[in-house]
Amino acid sequence: MAEVRLELIEKIEGEAQVRYFYEEERVDFAEILFVTGRGIEKILEGRDPWDALTINPRVCGICGHAHLIATVRALEDCYTDLKLSPKARKVRELTLAFELLQNHFKWFYLTILPLLDLEAPRRSVLEPSRILGEMIALLAGQYPHNSYAIPGGITCEITPVDLHGVRQRHRHLQKLFRRGVIDVDLEAFVRCDRIEAMLKREGDLPRAMQRILDRGWERLGRSCDRFIVFGHNDLFVAGKSIGTRLQKHLDLRYLRESSIEGSRARRVLYREKSYETGPLARAMLLKTPLTKEAHRRYGDSLFSRILARVCEIPRLLRYTEALIASIDLSESAWIDPGPLPEEAEGTGIVEAARGSLIHRLQIKEGKIARYRIVTPTQWNLGNGSREEPGVAQSALIGLHREDPAELVFKAFDVCSVCTTK
Amino acid sequence: MRLLWLSALACNGNAHALLNYPHFEEWQEDFEWLYHPLLPSTHAFVEVEEGIEGVEILIVDGTLEEGLVKNRLVYNELLARYAAEAKCIVTVGTCATFGGIFAQGGEGRSGLHFSKERRHGRFDDFWEKTVSLPGCPVQPEVLAGTLSMLRLGEPLPLDALHRPKYFYAYTVHDGCTRNEYFEYKIDEHRFGALEGCMFYEHGCQGTFTHGSCNKILWNGVHSKTRAGTPCMGCTEPDFPRETLWRTSKHMGIPARMPLGVPRRAYLSLAGIAKAFRIERFERPMMEDERG
Repeated sequence: MAEVRLELIEKIEGEAQVRYFYEEERVDFAEILFVTGRGIEKILEGRDPWDALTINPRVCGICGHAHLIATVRALEDCYTDLKLSPKARKVRELTLAFELLQNHFKWFYLTILPLLDLEAPRRSVLEPSRILGEMIALLAGQYPHNSYAIPGGITCEITPVDLHGVRQRHRHLQKLFRRGVIDVDLEAFVRCDRIEAMLKREGDLPRAMQRILDRGWERLGRSCDRFIVFGHNDLFVAGKSIGTRLQKHLDLRYLRESSIEGSRARRVLYREKSYETGPLARAMLLKTPLTKEAHRRYGDSLFSRILARVCEIPRLLRYTEALIASIDLSESAWIDPGPLPEEAEGTGIVEAARGSLIHRLQIKEGKIARYRIVTPTQWNLGNGSREEPGVAQSALIGLHREDPAELVFKAFDVCSVCTTK
Repeated sequence: MRLLWLSALACNGNAHALLNYPHFEEWQEDFEWLYHPLLPSTHAFVEVEEGIEGVEILIVDGTLEEGLVKNRLVYNELLARYAAEAKCIVTVGTCATFGGIFAQGGEGRSGLHFSKERRHGRFDDFWEKTVSLPGCPVQPEVLAGTLSMLRLGEPLPLDALHRPKYFYAYTVHDGCTRNEYFEYKIDEHRFGALEGCMFYEHGCQGTFTHGSCNKILWNGVHSKTRAGTPCMGCTEPDFPRETLWRTSKHMGIPARMPLGVPRRAYLSLAGIAKAFRIERFERPMMEDERG
């Protein structure tokens, strides 16, 4: 019997609606709809370009810092000879990485564990979230919604006292990760390639992954097996991968956005194909051992997706520890880049918690003439047709009525507010 | 005490900021979330639409929009239904209070009672029981503290815009580490430095913005102005103004004066302060003092 059911998915930084089309007890097709929109891109038009530094963090309450960094990169891209000190670049990398860490903790504990009927003390999420907020604030003034990254560097001078505060909290955070998420040596865990070895450890990650296996859900949520990463730094590499076949070169000219009927979200394609972005995509590009093994066994399923995301935490912890140690405080925090050109175009790309975030702006007569934001959730949740379904749609299609559709959906970590920018 | 948190057009920044409240876990023991956009709640949103009982405090978040439908019902109607029942209404953030950023993104958008500083009157029946907590986002201590005081029935004196005076009688300038540069009218400021005040050139609104940012520090450790970022006036009815990072001027003097300070008083004091050259403000803070 064919049946159509509309469901509200909530607590995804806002809401989305999914219209399921069932046929013979299975999802035959699913439409993902975002029904509200805020109009940030329009609000920016006609404004002084620097205003974007204030307005854009407010695109999102959970990943707003990624929007700030994307904004400053887009503005800096408008200059031809802008100088940025290694210190400023590193401090920005740090605060951005802290936001990724915080988002990963929040998603794992607030979204994923409850859907697996697992409980953890509330402090498992509150403590790391609060500490990471403090770490960003020590360098950037506040969290959420600061505007400390500006063309040419950062607004603040960083003192050894600030950095000391960050370092102490970093140690605390490592302890919390080992005590709560998984009891391992970070260095060894990053190299680990055996699922069984991970499952044998103590912690909420092995508990969660074991629960998925026990329920026989490890192969659910498989999608198009195409991955894309636009951001590039010392931690992530840009490129696309189809299964495990990599291609490093990407060209933004092949990116195409289209509107979706009945939804306020725009779909985004690369060379007319949908791609998954986010931690699983980043892990596939980097071929990180444990995620590669999960993918070999279970494909691009919710098991691989959840594992990939949590496994970014130890990598981010090591990355940020090395960054902190390498900062030379004698360098300039800000190098005056002079006024922005009156006519220019710029692009800013960031790897945000949920995947690649792209800001593009055009300046005319000294004002913002056009501003476009492509968010990770547009890649993952963008609606396609029955013939060419989007990433999350593909993951939902074929699910049995008894299958955990909400978990499949939320394993992507949807950011509704970003999508309804 | 039972809380119902409803979000209209929001970024969720207020909800996330609240999670940073240092005593959140213990604080929360005094409350029950009938609905919260992030945290486990007694009801699903669909049930809230169908109708739930026992709302004591209604928390309104995000910019309202005429005709907005989040799922099945017109949001403003849902809001009015629970607003009538609630003992008290708290607007969290500048969007829900004055309209904020998103009010600029479409027609028919506003805060619960205000379009910027103008009372629009659409929810006037609830004005007397509304507390305004503007801020983008609102500081967690402000929201948690207000809710606790309401729960305990402690006096909570409000100003003309219904902001609790305990938090909003201060300006963001109060407690800024750059205050001496303001007092002595050292108008040079360079980004990336510990020294200098952003009032003169870089658009800092701290002296005329109501808020406790530099009294109750952000995340308990810092603030935007201490970190060299100008205050953007995010708690004020007219947030966000235009050309935020540049000070607009009349005859070379900042156009907007510190809260309640007549222009003449400012000019007289500035003239005196500027007559002196104080060596300490002309050298880097970390350099040795000269004999």
